[in-house]
Amino acid sequence: MRPDVLQIALIAGACTWAFRFFPTRADLGRLAPHGLLAKLLNALGPAAIAALFVAEVTPALSRPLVTQGPLAAGTLAVVLVWALSRSVVGATLSGALGYGLALALLG
Amino acid sequence: MSQDRLSGTDGFRAAVPIVLGYVPIAFSFGVAATRSGLTLVEAVALSVIVFAGAAQFLAIALIASGVPALVAAFTLAAMNLRHLLYGPVLMRKAGADAARKSAWAWSFTLTDEVFGAALGALARGGRFGEGFMTALGFSAYAAWVFGTVAGGWAGAGALDRWPAVAGALGFMLPALFLALLLSMMNRRQIPVILAAGVATVLGVTFGSTTLGLFAGMAAGALVGVLLPGARNAA
Repeated sequence: MRPDVLQIALIAGACTWAFRFFPTRADLGRLAPHGLLAKLLNALGPAAIAALFVAEVTPALSRPLVTQGPLAAGTLAVVLVWALSRSVVGATLSGALGYGLALALLG
Repeated sequence: MSQDRLSGTDGFRAAVPIVLGYVPIAFSFGVAATRSGLTLVEAVALSVIVFAGAAQFLAIALIASGVPALVAAFTLAAMNLRHLLYGPVLMRKAGADAARKSAWAWSFTLTDEVFGAALGALARGGRFGEGFMTALGFSAYAAWVFGTVAGGWAGAGALDRWPAVAGALGFMLPALFLALLLSMMNRRQIPVILAAGVATVLGVTFGSTTLGLFAGMAAGALVGVLLPGARNAA
């Protein structure tokens, strides 16, 4: 293994671990429930997950409409199974299955 | 799992979609890395030590183009700055008395997907447990490392004969994010989610995925702060 690749991995890995670990030590117990920071942290969760979903599908949305059947089928399957079962795992697996089936059928 | 402490078993169950989604992505990383001149050991070392998908794909390009090691390392680290926010959001939801004794270990695995799955479980009424976080995070980590080894070993084209399977596996993570979003959505969060979505589209379209994620999180958080009242909790 080349030393420079190991160096890159170690520095990037240590920084990433620090970004993930040290903020978990923050004492948030005394935050005012209606304060600015509490509102910020409460909004960040849904905002982050919405951003992650949109970032994943935005490149696919830029393709021609006729090629988006699998994306529509997968999305619909997630929403339908979630509405019926309230199961995240079930909705996720159904979405992937719907996407794969639509891709197999539509090409 | 409402109001029960989330267990290791809950963590393994919550990890299923992440595991299924990570293996093909990590497989692609392994293929791309070895195609770009990294050895199998180097590719696996990046997955074992860094464990951050987008940054690892960028690492391939930086290493292949001969960027100085320190510049490459800190560029990769900068890509993961958004992870600074995940710990406080998670621990706020977990509550002030939540155990953090093993946080040094499970926080290593706090990727976007692990964060999303953990937050979703807490939003559905589960009580925070370190066993849950450890099982969830290290299942995802094992899948990532396994996928990298398999991709680096098998080389390109392993899934070419089954495009529908490859497509379905590729949709696993977007499907997970959508399901998580649905699981924590309520009427008050709709402005937050809309703002995050619009800003992400603009950021991804006119910048990059990383910029889109930052823009989406910032816009959603800003709207959340500006909304009257504070019951917009996840």
